[in-house]
Amino acid sequence: MQAMLLAVLQGVSELFPVSSLGHTILVPALLHWTVDRRDPTFLAFVVVLHFGTAVALVVFYRREWLRIVRALVASVRRGRLSGARDEHIAWLLVVGSIPVGILGVYLESPVRGLFGSAAFASIFLMINALIMFAGEFFRRRQHENRGKQYKRLEAMTWMQSIAVGLAQSLALLPGISRSGASIVAGLAVDLDHEDAAHYSFLLATPVIGAAALIEMPRLWGAGVHVIALQALVGALLAGVAAYLSVAFLTKYFQRNDLRPFGWYCLAFGALCLGLILKGVIA
Amino acid sequence: MKYVALVVAIICFLIAVLYALGAIGWFADPAHRHHYSHFALFVVLGALALVWMRFAAQPARP
Repeated sequence: MQAMLLAVLQGVSELFPVSSLGHTILVPALLHWTVDRRDPTFLAFVVVLHFGTAVALVVFYRREWLRIVRALVASVRRGRLSGARDEHIAWLLVVGSIPVGILGVYLESPVRGLFGSAAFASIFLMINALIMFAGEFFRRRQHENRGKQYKRLEAMTWMQSIAVGLAQSLALLPGISRSGASIVAGLAVDLDHEDAAHYSFLLATPVIGAAALIEMPRLWGAGVHVIALQALVGALLAGVAAYLSVAFLTKYFQRNDLRPFGWYCLAFGALCLGLILKGVIA
Repeated sequence: MKYVALVVAIICFLIAVLYALGAIGWFADPAHRHHYSHFALFVVLGALALVWMRFAAQPARP
């Protein structure tokens, strides 16, 4: 039952700008679940959940991914960029994924070793809220008060894509949301909420998928006891939760902003930190 | 520029192989001898350098 709840939690919090890593640390601590995050079985189960989430994202954006991959392959065959929309987005995604790929491989393990506690997750969750509030404050100042025009996704530059990719890397810190950081970075490079969220979800797909594929050997590692049925149901639940989340969020960001998620992160982070300081949760 | 890209690709593939064999472990978890995530990263970077070489090898548009 705990595993199934964890699957739904992972699927939802991976795409909502509330930090999946932070929640998979804090929620089990809050509910007094005995989860050993270094246990090979737990790590293997998390790999399966990531795989389910990545598949859900591919399925949701299947037509766009097909166009993007076709455009990417065509440009490599041609050996030249044509400037077409899908091709430009394809290369923006490649360029934007490089920073998080390098930083993820080199920093994930030491960062989680240093900041993998519930106390740090609570603090970073509140910092995540401040990042979203700051992003919204500067967006409103630039675009609503000064009338600066929004930019379309295909008008993004390579450097701006690298900047969004670097922002996404902040999610290595438990409590900082990958989608939150990348949406704020998208707003900072003059995208509107809809395009910033759209780009964040597209950028998430190769990152989550690659992370799951690289960690896949853990499933067959020593000391792993993931039951096939449990893993399958977990991946399915995480995938369905992720699909419904991205469907909701793409609609939500057409008219709304990040502030409600900021308030949630601030309140939940403060609550958890308070309970940790009181000794209620470890 | 295409030769720079080729050199970068060769270096990336070499580093990838060394990580996979466990001959190097720069900034990697010492608990694991073969660093497959580092191997995969450098294979991808090497492949991207080859794509860069292909783009650089094309004559400039008139």
